Amino acid sequence: MADLSLQQEATPHASNSGKMMVRFAILGVVVALALGYMVYAAFANDLYSLSVTEFTNKEDAQDGRMVRVWGKLVDGSFERQDNSTVSSFRLRDDESGAQLAATYEGVLPDLFFNPHSEIILEGSHGHNDVFQTSNILVKCPSKYEGLESASLNPTQ
Amino acid sequence: MLQSVRQMNFKSGFLVLCGLMMVADLWLIFQVAPTDAVIGDVQRVFYFHVPLALLSFLAFFVVFVGSIIYLVKRSPAADRIAYSAAEVGVVFVSLALLTGIIWARPVWNTWWTFEPRLTTTLILWFIYAGYLMIGYAAPNRAKGAIYSAVIGIIGFIDVPIVYYSVVWWRSIHPAPVVGPMAETGSLEPVMLNILLVSMMTFLLLFIYLVMERASLRRSEDDFRAIRLALRRASP
Repeated sequence: MADLSLQQEATPHASNSGKMMVRFAILGVVVALALGYMVYAAFANDLYSLSVTEFTNKEDAQDGRMVRVWGKLVDGSFERQDNSTVSSFRLRDDESGAQLAATYEGVLPDLFFNPHSEIILEGSHGHNDVFQTSNILVKCPSKYEGLESASLNPTQ
Repeated sequence: MLQSVRQMNFKSGFLVLCGLMMVADLWLIFQVAPTDAVIGDVQRVFYFHVPLALLSFLAFFVVFVGSIIYLVKRSPAADRIAYSAAEVGVVFVSLALLTGIIWARPVWNTWWTFEPRLTTTLILWFIYAGYLMIGYAAPNRAKGAIYSAVIGIIGFIDVPIVYYSVVWWRSIHPAPVVGPMAETGSLEPVMLNILLVSMMTFLLLFIYLVMERASLRRSEDDFRAIRLALRRASP
């Protein structure tokens, strides 16, 4: 049969199309604001996500506001007393060598001690330049390898 | 009549092929693929997550092209393909988000975090959910097709942003393993091969779903046209 499918048709809405456009405009503005806020919350704030070097060099990042600091765990810097969940450790920026001391209370993520992991601390500047961590995230490199291959090439 | 029987046979054959590929893909993912040395078994989510995400990009590219063709030629077929691809694309990107959540909890230590890749993907989800909804909010089917075509063209801007987000901004999400920014050797060869099989499988599923949905949409449009003709004939 002939393809009539998209021919104009009268619908009950047709008389209200002016009203509909206003609703559309309002909806559009609300959605645009919501999306805009999400983009802003994610990365418009340049204090939001910092390397160890950026954090230690930026005075205004150290006024107690929440930031994310990226770095690698310094070998042997991790300490935790027996029967305690409070741990302290240091993060290092591989490029500049800058370090940051941090404390955290809670259970550590599984991949925290993996030498290839990047550690992301969410928290704020605390007393004696020790970073108060409220949450720890771990970034793994995008390198995937089976158990067997990894044991054949232990340097990887 | 004969043609539609032949079409049915083709579709059933395609569906059977899809089913067999999916069984083979599951076997490869859970029996053949090696367990990742660092991440462990959760890494197998990857063979679903990556194809779903990439095919949602393909779906939105089909929407983009179909929308341009519709606006230029007003071809109803282009609108139907674009709409169907958008529906499948929204399902795929939702599943990509869900499989990502399954990965993020054990590997990143969080279910969700607002960071560039995740946020831009969530925006992508909203854009195409909007694409699907606006057609129904329009005063008639033809206007709805125009509105959604506009969203289908403008919304596509977000696809390259999602892809490059991990390159442009500091992101917890791993770097791409496929496409222009992929690092060679980031995957062991057997893992890469299984990923490719998985992508083929999801590609077939995508094509099948879009075909089915487009023919269903054609029936919906025909039905609407018949109803309209009847209404005009008997006042």
